[in-house]
Amino acid sequence: MLELLVILVCAGILVSGVLAVCLGNMLAAMISAGLASLFAAVSYVLLAAPDVAMAEAAIGSGLATLIFLYTMRRTGSGREP
Amino acid sequence: MADIILQIAGALIFMGIACGVLRLIIGRTIVDRIVAIDMLTVISISLIALYAHLSGRFVYIDVALVYGLLSFLAVLAIARFLERKS
Repeated sequence: MLELLVILVCAGILVSGVLAVCLGNMLAAMISAGLASLFAAVSYVLLAAPDVAMAEAAIGSGLATLIFLYTMRRTGSGREP
Repeated sequence: MADIILQIAGALIFMGIACGVLRLIIGRTIVDRIVAIDMLTVISISLIALYAHLSGRFVYIDVALVYGLLSFLAVLAIARFLERKS
């Protein structure tokens, strides 16, 4: 049961990583990268590392998206892939 | 009885994750994708809470709590970005 859960969540990481590479719109690619970080946090919980999952949820999903958005606003990009 | 309810909850969580990822892949506009990732965040919080009950380790509840406190920041920042751009 646990192995099936871990495999499904890791398939989610894979799908969202491929989406983050393949999507043309930069905002959508950023959202997909946040989703990969979200699934990674869930998989850390399933693999019995709750402190790593807490750091991943705080930094990877929250702070990284904010920094990407700030960079996009400062540089004025967001159209070109 | 409780096992049946937990199994139904797990099945519903995975159906929700599948539908959310499908919406994220199809997603016509950017707003669809934002709503999909917000929904996936809430579903993954409930998955962590369900696994905390199943494994009997209540440290995992703290992870769900921290994630629930921090998860709205990204959606809020993207919404403000879209509002400023339009």
